[in-house]
Amino acid sequence: MRKAITVAKWEFLEKIKSKAFIISLFLTPAIIILFSVLPTLLATRDSDSTKAIGILDLTQEYFYDLKNEIETYKLNNNLPAYAILNNYKSNTAADSLIKISDAMVIENKLDGYLLIQKGINDSLKIEFRSKSIGNFQDVARFEEAFNNLRIKRKLLSENVDPEIIEVIKQRTNVNQIKIEKPGEEGKGGFEMVFFSSIIFILLLMMMIIYSGQMLVRSMLEEKSNRLIEILISSCTPQDLLFGKVFGLSALGLTQVAVWLIIGISLIGAAIVPMTSFDNIHLILLYFILGFVFYTTLFVGIGSVASTEQEAQQITSYLSLLLVLPSVFIISTLQNPDSSLVKVLSYIPFTLPSVMILRVNVSPIPIWEILSTILIMIFSILIVIRISGKIFRFGVLYYGKMPSMKEIKVWLKE
Amino acid sequence: MLEVKNLTKTYGQIRAVDNLTFSVKPGKIFGMLGPNGAGKTTTIRTILNIIKPNSGEVLLNGNPVTKDLFNSIGYLPEERGLYKKSKVIDVITYLAHLKGMQSSEIKKEADKWLKKLEIPQYRERKVEELSKGNQQKIQFITAVIHNPELLILDEPFSGFDPINQQLIKDVILDLLDNGKIIILSTHQMDTAEKLCSEILLINEGKEVLSGSLSEIKQKFGGNHVRFSYEGDVKFLNEMDEVISFELYSNNAEVHIKDEVKPELFLKKIIYKVTIKQFSIIEPTLNKIFIDSIKNKN
Repeated sequence: MRKAITVAKWEFLEKIKSKAFIISLFLTPAIIILFSVLPTLLATRDSDSTKAIGILDLTQEYFYDLKNEIETYKLNNNLPAYAILNNYKSNTAADSLIKISDAMVIENKLDGYLLIQKGINDSLKIEFRSKSIGNFQDVARFEEAFNNLRIKRKLLSENVDPEIIEVIKQRTNVNQIKIEKPGEEGKGGFEMVFFSSIIFILLLMMMIIYSGQMLVRSMLEEKSNRLIEILISSCTPQDLLFGKVFGLSALGLTQVAVWLIIGISLIGAAIVPMTSFDNIHLILLYFILGFVFYTTLFVGIGSVASTEQEAQQITSYLSLLLVLPSVFIISTLQNPDSSLVKVLSYIPFTLPSVMILRVNVSPIPIWEILSTILIMIFSILIVIRISGKIFRFGVLYYGKMPSMKEIKVWLKE
Repeated sequence: MLEVKNLTKTYGQIRAVDNLTFSVKPGKIFGMLGPNGAGKTTTIRTILNIIKPNSGEVLLNGNPVTKDLFNSIGYLPEERGLYKKSKVIDVITYLAHLKGMQSSEIKKEADKWLKKLEIPQYRERKVEELSKGNQQKIQFITAVIHNPELLILDEPFSGFDPINQQLIKDVILDLLDNGKIIILSTHQMDTAEKLCSEILLINEGKEVLSGSLSEIKQKFGGNHVRFSYEGDVKFLNEMDEVISFELYSNNAEVHIKDEVKPELFLKKIIYKVTIKQFSIIEPTLNKIFIDSIKNKN
């Protein structure tokens, strides 16, 4: 055990001193913030200038009313959000009107325009034509404005009291509230839960992949310069394996600690939603269990590689296994009690990331938390045994990758 | 004393070590010789418990070599390498810690050894900044710093210039005076001849020759002469008196038939080539090595 600690200390100190580690320590959160937090910030943020929007109403029935509806949207500073321009000119053909309007958008005279025309069978066809099509907030507003307008007209033509029309026009939104204990509301809607969960899963994955690669590479170095022979004639392969897993886990925890500090300071700056940290103790627990599980696996399986290419192959297969559960993120969020999700949260490979998600989405009964943790601990013990055996032979194995048959023989010895 | 009894190790169909038995006494250097692929490294790895033998046992002072004995074994592998990006003193400290040494002791011993091998100035440098020879010295230090009872050196002189070879040789002889068990594996016969008093020659995993150097030479025996010459000595091939010969640059070592007197042999060849020097010798280890391996094949 003392020797395992010596190995752990060495692995930890030598890696923490490396430039690559220090860079990744700060670069990784920066990248994650950039990719997960910034887009939401930008997408939900109101634009702060009035947009010039044209309306080309080939039916000549809606322009004025639609203009009035759209102009009710205001910016934060109370200026109108949209300035409306009529693109219709009589005695010009429809085709050339569309071409002229398109040209205005291309030349940046307009941010975009609404094209209203008759479709087949008397139906209406409305298009919002602009240079970029990502602006779902604007489109949603135009849709709402136009539908309001149609309802109003229809009702007026049926001689409904204008007051009733106002009541009908008012929409009611359904707010999602997450209940954690009776009477206690969790904060945050779908988006917040989504992003806070995905941050942790991304962190877990990136960390495992990164440190797994680092580990396999350093083992490869020890193997290719035969240091491994000195190591194995100084301590048992088990000591070496434990030492490497301990050292790397300590390194991982240091990384998480640094990232948490960054995260907490970002909460201070109100960039990361606070809900990310509601279940932090459970998230961290699953995080660590998942990390140790995969690291042990990496040490065992990685030990058979004897060239850089093989190492890459092995790490990328393992990483694939790790990334797999992210396919289920959306479905887990939408339906955290589905049987697929239940099954995935009992398979050790997917358990950590699925549980991190579930913990965030809905309260989980204590027995399920306990049983998943037990499964994880049990799996780690099994993986340590298996990896230990593969490692014992793998580190001395040179040449082509061993076949499954050979590995089976190793496992039996 | 190190005892190796009936050691066998197979890899699939190949018998890398085939029923090998030998013992090594303290205070003498034991030379393990053999051509490439003879099974030297596999034997060493089995002694070190890096790999498990199929059968046989290894005893150090009567105890099987397990993790309890790891701290009393030092090993210098043939292929050298250290953590390139790390500092010299850090690498020495780590490997010494793994051999069970205490920090204070390591510091003292590391400084002593760095000084002894004339490289104290590299203490704080990164391994990759050192020349190959100096890196090897660091590796040598990691093999001996914990004062091991059993020291296994695989080709310890390869890669050193003559001055440093001499330095390492002196250090090894020093260690011998302290009553260590030293195994030296090499195919540099002249080195083995100068340093080793006991020899084990193996080929294809099997023992070919073993015993003390003088015993072996006596046993191998025969009539050996060496002469320096100028000219062409191809005629040796056709002479009935010659059993075998080895040519070096401008001198030849010849094994002649027992009944042939060396002076008669000299008379015969003196007409064919210019002889600058002629002597009756014991067979060199190199000759013994080559003849034994050839005979077996």
